[in-house]
Amino acid sequence: MNLHLQRLPSARPGMAFGARVAALVLALLTAAAVLAAAGFAPLDLAAQVLRSTFGSRFGLEDLGLLLTPLIYTGLAVAVGLRIGAWNIGAEGQFNIGAFCAAGVALFVPGPVWLLLPLMMVAGAMGGALWILVPTLARAYADVSELITTLLLNFVALLLVYFVATGPWLDPSGHALATTARLPVAVPEFWGIVHWGFPVAVALALLLAVVFAFSRWGYEVRISGSNPGAARYAGIPVTRHLIGVMLLSGALAGLGGMMEVAGTVGRLQGGISNNYGYLGIMVAVLARAAPLGVLASALLMAVILNGGIILQTQGLTTNTVLAVTGLILLFSAIGDELAHYRVIRRQEKG
Amino acid sequence: MTLIRELSRRGFLNMGAAAGLGLMLPKTGLIRPAFAAAPLPPVAEEAAMIAWGYVGPTADEGWTWAHDQGRLAVEKAFPKLKTSFVESVPYSADASRIYRQFVADGANMVFANSNYGDFLYDVAKRAPEVAFYECDGRLAMENLGTYYVQHWYPSYVTGVAAGLMSKTGKLGYVASFPVPSVYSGTNAFLMGARSVNPAATVQAIVINSWFDPQAAAQAGTALLDNGCDVLFGIMDEAAYLQVAEQRGAKAVMWNTDIRRYGPSAYISSIMVDFGPWYVEQVRRRLAGEWTPSEDILPMAKGVDRDAWGESVPPEVAAQADAAREKILSGWSPFTGEIKDSNGAIKVAAGQTMTERELYEWNWSIEGVSGLDA
Repeated sequence: MNLHLQRLPSARPGMAFGARVAALVLALLTAAAVLAAAGFAPLDLAAQVLRSTFGSRFGLEDLGLLLTPLIYTGLAVAVGLRIGAWNIGAEGQFNIGAFCAAGVALFVPGPVWLLLPLMMVAGAMGGALWILVPTLARAYADVSELITTLLLNFVALLLVYFVATGPWLDPSGHALATTARLPVAVPEFWGIVHWGFPVAVALALLLAVVFAFSRWGYEVRISGSNPGAARYAGIPVTRHLIGVMLLSGALAGLGGMMEVAGTVGRLQGGISNNYGYLGIMVAVLARAAPLGVLASALLMAVILNGGIILQTQGLTTNTVLAVTGLILLFSAIGDELAHYRVIRRQEKG
Repeated sequence: MTLIRELSRRGFLNMGAAAGLGLMLPKTGLIRPAFAAAPLPPVAEEAAMIAWGYVGPTADEGWTWAHDQGRLAVEKAFPKLKTSFVESVPYSADASRIYRQFVADGANMVFANSNYGDFLYDVAKRAPEVAFYECDGRLAMENLGTYYVQHWYPSYVTGVAAGLMSKTGKLGYVASFPVPSVYSGTNAFLMGARSVNPAATVQAIVINSWFDPQAAAQAGTALLDNGCDVLFGIMDEAAYLQVAEQRGAKAVMWNTDIRRYGPSAYISSIMVDFGPWYVEQVRRRLAGEWTPSEDILPMAKGVDRDAWGESVPPEVAAQADAAREKILSGWSPFTGEIKDSNGAIKVAAGQTMTERELYEWNWSIEGVSGLDA
């Protein structure tokens, strides 16, 4: 009798969850060990992060504000993954969503109750338009969306820089390299947390229901896991691919709209704050499940917010990036290991 | 509350005359708004916490390093107080989070380097008991002041040297963003160069960052490829100096003496020293005397050219230094007629630009390309 490892086609849920928790713990322990070696007191730092984040209403509001864009971009990437499309361009779609929404707010006169929905539509459509070419290229010419969506990020960022420092530059002169303050803002929901947050949570719930219970959700899942079989079964895979990728872009664009009109108030170059790229981590940690996105976005927001607290304690921003990287690395290892089980094989006589 | 921008020019001039006796701004008038607000209450040195938010890493050997030297000077002058700093503060909602965290950590005074705008103002409004300073800021509040340097004067002086040393007459500029400090830097540099070579031009490339050595090196290379043979810029590090050194061109830098990255390319640098100013502001805060000020440190008192580089001929150095002496004795090179890049006359003949106009310069003069959209 000896022991063997057997690889399963899909990880068992219990194992997957356990591996995820173990990965998180191991990543934090590794980071703590490195910090301790560098002369910091990791337990004190952790206590301070938790106290500053959860110990006051001020900390919780900040967390909600940081969580909001991560849910949008996390959902954007997660939705794409459902059909096997890697939307690396959420960063660019986020910027374009902010750009379109800011354009409406700055140049379309009208009452707030009309402008806000219009800005949401403009943001979502801007995001969808920004992923349109990569989508069609993937659907009809089999061009990898990994590259096309990624490269368009830089175009979007330069476009935002161009208008914010050029044609749309704040005429008052108070603020540099940014547009004027938008005359329309997303109303506040809880303290400084605006209505973009409950909308994001509602979208996650809606998507979870749609993917779990609708025919469309089922067909998308099948199209993602086995396109050949899906086609054979008569599922319009290409149509679903196009629809899902456009939805992905729209979610990221809507996130950009909420950030510019809810949190920042002006369109400027740094507005996306890497939320698009962080969304990839959020979605991967969530295994592309919309409800999982809520959990992993919360985790990411706590880590990033913790990072800011750590920076005021003398750690560099790179340390924080390294911790998030460790979590992703350990999670990837854990996910792979969760596919294996140990079996006992009888020696054949 | 008085907003600086809302004062008339006459009001400014009057205030400038009154403030002319003040300590840091002998020449122009730092425009010191008369705030009705009482000074913030005193703070015991051992209970004080002073915080800095930096745009780049302190190891940049440039802008951020220079400000961190100021922080260290404060620590030395007031050994019992605590200082705190965060490097590479981004221009996003994270900036507000960082400044809010300073307030939550108990900071009595916060310095922001620089241009954080609303991200800082939103925090300052909610923390009236904390003194804030925004470097290169454009807004004053009851607990928020502004500080910067009159870098346009040493930029003019180094421009004279660049004009004399350039063979092609084409000068290059590695720009961060099209903001007033870049407009005044390029314009002053070209006016200095044109005082000795009327055909000189400046071509600018915007890289959308204050600290991005790779992009700065690419921009420097592109400018040299375009025929420029002297580079200037407003970068926090030395990348385009290294490019100039490799290509046999010349360069004028910012912030610190970084000639070791390109000893033969190095002409000079716009040197900054904020240490004494930081110490004075912290002293005022601790003593309960602090009200917001707008301090644009003049040449020879916070900003100046660096000692000339080894390849600068003595006669070039002498000619540029003559311009420097003239400025220090009260002459302003920023006197009309000055045309903008479209050829329209913006400053009439004989008219001299005010310090405020120089600080808020947002158009390119004739001969500067690459900034106006």
